[in-house]
Amino acid sequence: MSLLKVNNLKKYFKEVKAVNGITFDVKKGEVFGLLGPNGAGKSTTISMISTLFNPTSGEITYNGESIVEKPKAIQQKLGVVPQEIALYPTLSGLENLKFWGHAYGLRGSELNKRIEDISQVIGIKDRLKDKIEKYSGGMKRRINIGAALLHKPDLLIMDEPTVGIDPQSRNHILDTVLKLNEEGMTIIYTSHYMEEVEYLCSRISIMDMGEIIASGTQEELVDIIKGQKKINIKLDHVDDTLISIIKTIEYVEKVETHENEMILTTQNGENIFKDLISKTAETESNILSIDIKKPNLEAVFLHLTGKALRD
Amino acid sequence: MLSIILLRLKKLKGEYYVFLIMTALSLVLAFIFSSAYNSDYTPMVLIVNNDDSAYSQKAIDELVNSDTFNYKIVSYDKATEEVRKGSALAAIVIKENFGESIDNNNTPTLGIIKTKNDRDIMVLQSIMNSITSKMISNIKIAQNTADYIGEITDANKDELFKKAYDNAVKGWKYQKTININVSTLEADTELYYDNTIHSIIGFSLFFSMYTIVFAIGEILNDRKYRTWQRILVSPISKTSMLGGNLVVSFLVGVVQIVILFAASQFLFGVDYGSNFAALATILIVFIFTVTSLGLFLSGIVKNHAQLSALTPIVLTSTAMLGGTMWPLEIVNSDIILGLANITPQKWAIQGVKALAVYNEGFEGIVTPAIVLLGMGLVFFGLGVKLVKYD
Ligand SMILES: Nc1ncnc2c1ncn2[C@@H]1O[C@H](COP(=O)(O)OP(=O)(O)OP(=O)(O)O)[C@@H](O)[C@H]1O
Ligand SMILES: [Mg+2]
Repeated sequence: MSLLKVNNLKKYFKEVKAVNGITFDVKKGEVFGLLGPNGAGKSTTISMISTLFNPTSGEITYNGESIVEKPKAIQQKLGVVPQEIALYPTLSGLENLKFWGHAYGLRGSELNKRIEDISQVIGIKDRLKDKIEKYSGGMKRRINIGAALLHKPDLLIMDEPTVGIDPQSRNHILDTVLKLNEEGMTIIYTSHYMEEVEYLCSRISIMDMGEIIASGTQEELVDIIKGQKKINIKLDHVDDTLISIIKTIEYVEKVETHENEMILTTQNGENIFKDLISKTAETESNILSIDIKKPNLEAVFLHLTGKALRD
Repeated sequence: MLSIILLRLKKLKGEYYVFLIMTALSLVLAFIFSSAYNSDYTPMVLIVNNDDSAYSQKAIDELVNSDTFNYKIVSYDKATEEVRKGSALAAIVIKENFGESIDNNNTPTLGIIKTKNDRDIMVLQSIMNSITSKMISNIKIAQNTADYIGEITDANKDELFKKAYDNAVKGWKYQKTININVSTLEADTELYYDNTIHSIIGFSLFFSMYTIVFAIGEILNDRKYRTWQRILVSPISKTSMLGGNLVVSFLVGVVQIVILFAASQFLFGVDYGSNFAALATILIVFIFTVTSLGLFLSGIVKNHAQLSALTPIVLTSTAMLGGTMWPLEIVNSDIILGLANITPQKWAIQGVKALAVYNEGFEGIVTPAIVLLGMGLVFFGLGVKLVKYD
C-alpha cells in the first residue's frame, strides 16, 4: 500500500529546473532510496514533501490527502532529518531535543521518556548537557537525527544523514535506520553513496538533473545492465598486442588499462574465461589474478548517464 | 506558540549579559550626557579691540562683569587662530568705528568669530546684544543729561557725562528689564533639570530600541541555523512562530524599559508624574512600535549580519532626528523638525515628557500614542509581508 505518492512533481527556481517532473511512490514499511549525484534535486524533492517548498506544479499525496493543499495532513506524522545540521548551537543537546519534542506536542514525563529512549538510540547520553557548538560533527549529526525521531513519526525522511562523519558514526546511523524500519517506520533515504542505498533500501529511484532516470528494486535496476560484468585482470605486463588480442574476444565491449591491470566490460560473459586464458597464453603476458565485479548501482548509473555518481 | 516562547526565553537566559550591558550603558550615558549640561567648565571668549574709544572700554568692562564666560583680550590674528583650534569658544571683535558710531547715533557693530553654533554661542550672542543695547541706552541717557545740565549750568560737560553714565550703569544693577533674555539662558538650574530628564528618557528609549530590534532579529539567526526551516516543517504554524518571537521581543522590551525607568527614578530622582497608567500606556505603545520596526527591518535584510549593519544606522539617525540625543527645542531647522515627526522617538519622548516635565495627564499622551500606534501597525503589516518563509 502506498503511503506517499509523488506525481509529475516540478520545482523551478527561475531558470533552474531543480526538479523536473518526477513520479514515484513510497510503500508503507519500506526503506525507499533516492540516489543521485550533487545537484540532482534530491533535497528540493524532500523540501516539497516536507511542506517547506510549494511545488511549481505536480501533486504529492500522503495517505491519499494532498499535502500541497493541506500541509497539516503530513506535518505531525513526518520526521525530517535535514541535510545540514538544524539545531540551536548555543543550547545543549538536551535543550534542543526538548524543544523539538515540544514542537511536536510532547510534554512533561512523556517528553522526558522519549528523550531518554532516543538518546539511547542515537548513542548520545553522557554529553547531552553540553552545548551543541561543543559537539563533534558526528555528535551533531546524531542529535540532528534524534530530533526527528522523538514524536515517533510514521514517515522518516533522511537527507544524506551520513555526510562528513567518521565510519563508526556512519555505521551506527545505518544500523539505526534498519532498526527503526524493523519497528515499522517507513523511511525515505537520500544519498549519493550507492553502498548505503544498496545496504538499506528495498526500492530505489535514481535521480539526475531533476529527473528520475530509473526506479525499482536493486535487482530490477541491476537488470537494466543485464549480464554486464566488470572483470579486473592483473598481469605481469600489459602491451598493445595483448590489448588488441583481448579486444577480439566475443562479448568484450570495452577495455581499460591501468598500468599492469586491465578492466574489461563484458556482456553475457559466462564462457569468457576460457577465451581470456587461452588468448593471453598466445602473448608474452601472464595472468596474475582475475577478479569479477558484480554489477552495482554505480554501474547502472554510469550506464544510464555516461558519468560517475561521484567525481 | 508556547514552544517558541519557551525556546526564546531559554536562549535569552544564555545571553542575559548582553541585556545587562545595554541597560548599564544606557544609564551611564544618560548620566554623562545629563551632567555635561551642568559642568563647571566655563568657556573662554576672546576679545579683539580695534577701537580705542572710551566706549569700547566700557563695553569690555560690561562683558567681563558677566560671569558666564572667561574673557581675554588678544590680537585679531591670535583670536582667529585660537577659535579655529577650538581652544576658545569664540572671539568678539570690536570694530574701529565702534565709538564713532555711538557718537553719530548710528548702530554700533560687534563682530563675532565662531566655528559652530551651539548653546554657548547662543548665550554669548544674547549677552552681547543685551550689553550693547544697555550700553547705548546708558550713553544716550548720560549724553542727554550732561547736555541738559550743561545748558542750564556752567558745569563741565565731560565730567557731567561721566557721572551721569556711572549713575545710569548703577541704576541697571537693580533692574533686570533689559537683560531678561540673558537671564533666561543663564537660569541654569531649571534647564539643567529638564536636560537631565531629557537625556535619561532619550537614552532609555534609544537603548531599549536596540534590545528590542535585536530580540526580534533572532529570527534571522534561526534562518542561519536552519532551525527556521525545521520549524516550518513541524506542526508549529507560521503565525505561532512569528507570534512567539514577537511576544518575547515585546516582553524583553518591557523588562528593559521598566528597569531603565525604575533605575532613573531611584538613581537620578526623576519624577515621572503621578499618572502611572498614562506612562505605562505610552511606553507599551512605544515598545509595540519598536517590535514592529524590528520585524520590518528583519524583513528587508537577508541575514543577521546585514541587520547588525543596518540597525545602528536606522536607530542612530532617527534618534538624532527624533530628539533623543538633544531636545528638539534647541533645533531651528524646519526640515529637521519636520523629519522628526516620522521618527517614533520624537513621539515617545513627547509623550513621556508631557507626563514627567509638564505634569500633564492622559491628554498629554493621546496624540503621541495614536501616532506611535499607527506607525507600529504599518511596520507590523510590512514586516509580516516581508518575512521570507523558505
Ligand atoms: N533555493 C534555491 N534557489 C535556487 N536554486 C536552487 C535552490 N535550491 C536548490 N537549487 C538548485 O536546484 C538544483 C538541485 O539542488 P538540490 O539541493 O535539490 O540537489 P541535491 O540532489 O540535494 O544535491 P546534493 O547531493 O548536493 O545535496 C541545484 O542546481 C541547486 O543549485
Ligand atoms: Mg541535497
